[in-house]
Amino acid sequence: MERRTFLSLGFGALVLAAVPASVRAEDFRKLKPNAWTAKTVDDAVKALYGTTATIAKGVTVVTPDVASNGGAVPVQVTSDIDAKTVAIFQDANPESCVIVYDLNEHSIIDFSIKIKMKKSGTISAVVEGKDGKLYSGSKSLEVALGGCEG
Amino acid sequence: MKIKAKLKNGVVSVKAMAKHKMWTYDIAKKKTGNRNDANFITHINASVNDKVVFDASTSQFLSKNPIFKFKFKADGFKKGDKIVMTWVDLKGNTKTSKSKIK
Repeated sequence: MERRTFLSLGFGALVLAAVPASVRAEDFRKLKPNAWTAKTVDDAVKALYGTTATIAKGVTVVTPDVASNGGAVPVQVTSDIDAKTVAIFQDANPESCVIVYDLNEHSIIDFSIKIKMKKSGTISAVVEGKDGKLYSGSKSLEVALGGCEG
Repeated sequence: MKIKAKLKNGVVSVKAMAKHKMWTYDIAKKKTGNRNDANFITHINASVNDKVVFDASTSQFLSKNPIFKFKFKADGFKKGDKIVMTWVDLKGNTKTSKSKIK
């Protein structure tokens, strides 16, 4: 009984201390239109975050070493960083930005998605920390059959 | 949209499959000769009890019939609570689906 009370008190304090983010999440398609037409990963990161300076740690990208079907390459991004957004990029397609997750107070960074990759390349993920810094991770992979052909 | 949401050890894990042909500009050009026939999901979100638990803005590069997997802290959400997901695509179509956390 005592432990449960202690735990709920602790959680309550956290909620009060952290000013809650807006309830309505951002649509990054509208907020940062240039991110979606940027051809290189650097340009897309710059369009989204205003800088390309990232710290290469704390972000794990999991993909197979060889993807047999470029139309459905499984990608998983995980991180324990206290963050605002997570973005995934690749350098194999005409444009580099794939998806931007806008995080909320309940979020756990463990996202999985399947993406199209035209050819072999590198998938990178950037985590925008609440500390104002950008963290990144990446994984290179080979794609057996290109995926933009449908 | 098929949504499976499971609550275990204080974490809700969700697997949601949207049904969408997800045509990139290149695919549209190939299929109809017109790049403007491209259409793909551009935004998708999920909420439980009116609280946003997932939000993603997306590109033309997700696979056909994309499966979104995500997790969030249960934070007071319970089994039986309704999870509502909505996607919007490039042409402005939208779809909303609901399921219960199990």
